[in-house]
Amino acid sequence: MKIVSCFSDLKELEPLAGAGADEFYTAIAALPAFSVGFLPGRDLAPAIKTAHALGKKIALAVNAIHFPATLKQLAAAEKRIRGLDRLGMDAFIFSNPYLLGLFSGRRKLPGAKLHLSSVQPVFNSLSAAFFSRFGVSRLILPNQLSPYEARKILAFCRARGIETEIFDYRFFGCAYINGRCQLHRPDHYTLKSAILEGSLCRINAPAGGLVKLRTLDLPARARELPRLVKRLEARFTCGGSPRLSNAAAFFDFFSSGVRYLKYGTRHDPSGVKVKKVAELRRMLDLAEKLSAELPRAEARRAFVAELSGWNGGGF
Amino acid sequence: MPVEKGIRLGALTLAGLKKSGGLEAALKGFERFYIGPEFCENLLGLSLCAEAAWLLKRGRKVCLLTPLLSEKGLGLLDSVFGKLLQLVGRGELDPAGLEVTVNDFGAVELARKRRLPFTLNAGRLLHDNVFDDTGKDDITVHNGLALDFFRGLGIRRFELSTLGVRPSVNFARGAVFGFDRRSFRITLHYPYLNLTSTRTCPVGMRDTPPMEAARGVDCARECLVSSFELAHPSIREKLLVRGNTVYLDFPQKFYASEKDLARLNVDRLVYSPFP
Repeated sequence: MKIVSCFSDLKELEPLAGAGADEFYTAIAALPAFSVGFLPGRDLAPAIKTAHALGKKIALAVNAIHFPATLKQLAAAEKRIRGLDRLGMDAFIFSNPYLLGLFSGRRKLPGAKLHLSSVQPVFNSLSAAFFSRFGVSRLILPNQLSPYEARKILAFCRARGIETEIFDYRFFGCAYINGRCQLHRPDHYTLKSAILEGSLCRINAPAGGLVKLRTLDLPARARELPRLVKRLEARFTCGGSPRLSNAAAFFDFFSSGVRYLKYGTRHDPSGVKVKKVAELRRMLDLAEKLSAELPRAEARRAFVAELSGWNGGGF
Repeated sequence: MPVEKGIRLGALTLAGLKKSGGLEAALKGFERFYIGPEFCENLLGLSLCAEAAWLLKRGRKVCLLTPLLSEKGLGLLDSVFGKLLQLVGRGELDPAGLEVTVNDFGAVELARKRRLPFTLNAGRLLHDNVFDDTGKDDITVHNGLALDFFRGLGIRRFELSTLGVRPSVNFARGAVFGFDRRSFRITLHYPYLNLTSTRTCPVGMRDTPPMEAARGVDCARECLVSSFELAHPSIREKLLVRGNTVYLDFPQKFYASEKDLARLNVDRLVYSPFP
């Protein structure tokens, strides 16, 4: 398994490679990308050179699902992407099918490959088949997919030579569907006070009295209400929503042949990025060592036991 | 052009609607019934086919809403599609009266494989591929290419939620964005805007023990018990939670007449009695 690390500053490339990154990706403000943390556009050409000098591949995320563009703006974006392809960009990460279509088939980029972003989540093998027709060389799987559920997707990708990538479960774990979540910006609601980490997902208040019944549809099941209210309150306050990705899930993806592990918080400070990539490397080394030394079930048990002691790494 | 009125049953079944005494009024008041789980595959089941056939026989039109799909959901939807095709084959269901709204490209692929004779629409979890409606009061078509892509899949109708205000749109500037506003139609859901959805349902899914990997999202359909109101201390509005989806309620009517809706390419309004 290889580590794909984000970066948003040229100076980060060498330390990240030293910490264990095998590939890089970034985003620029001039092209539509999901989330924040951008490399200045003028640094893209030097970044390609530096990454290649380090023996690493580099990809550019153009993966915002929303890209309203006039014909003129679209032509400029296409020209920019084709120019970056000529400069040696190894891959572009897209989510919107209209942009994928712009660089597929007869309009295929001569050099760069196409990766499908998790912002266009693939949760089943027919969806994987749908996007394979654009000629994508890699599927970045959404974190809301269990390894068990992913079996047919992985088999499909293996058979077609399509690479697969997952996110590190410790540093990325939004419970909501990426790219479809409107909890982060007060567009449709009115703020009374600052929200925790810029999102409504977690409530910065103790549980109790936050949730009340709206419509009781099944009176026969009314006795379940106290438990459901308690569960909801816990999950919207301190507990967070349930997650499919954890150490055991990571190990199962690892041993299923997923080849890439992503760390993608582009807005993290440089020092944090390097520390997190080093954590990914330690985790991968452990998984590889245990898998080489022990039968699979024992290796999995030992791996999960070791990772369950992980204390957050001081992040 | 008259605006078609629809009702989205959501968590309600036809039997439940009948029991509540609302079925006759719904049959009188709405031309099209939106049935089926829009946001969660765990609610997919063959009973939807019988509901569709029953409604069609009573002269109502039907739209089957389908959710995001894991491999399990794909199997369930395949069974539903198979049963619908059987009913069509036996002459018990008129394909012209039934539409299918997809929220997963796997469902588009399945419909193609099954050669479904029904019109496909893009649902509220797919419309972002064509429209940006994340702003407070605007809806923007990304580009003509986005519409062309969906047209290539046989999809010309897109489902959006009300924003609670009359939105500004870029439809009159279609030439600049490379599209013709006559090439698509909008179905507008009201009064609830779906703010976000998850697969790992905060109402129904149990926590996974730390030493185990969850196989998927299992529940006891707790979403059917009730919806909930969440008083978030940081915002003025109440968040509404039904199963895996969080909504906002926008009961305000933002248009004066159907002409206003036509300017927004809205020719269908779909009312949800509950989130």
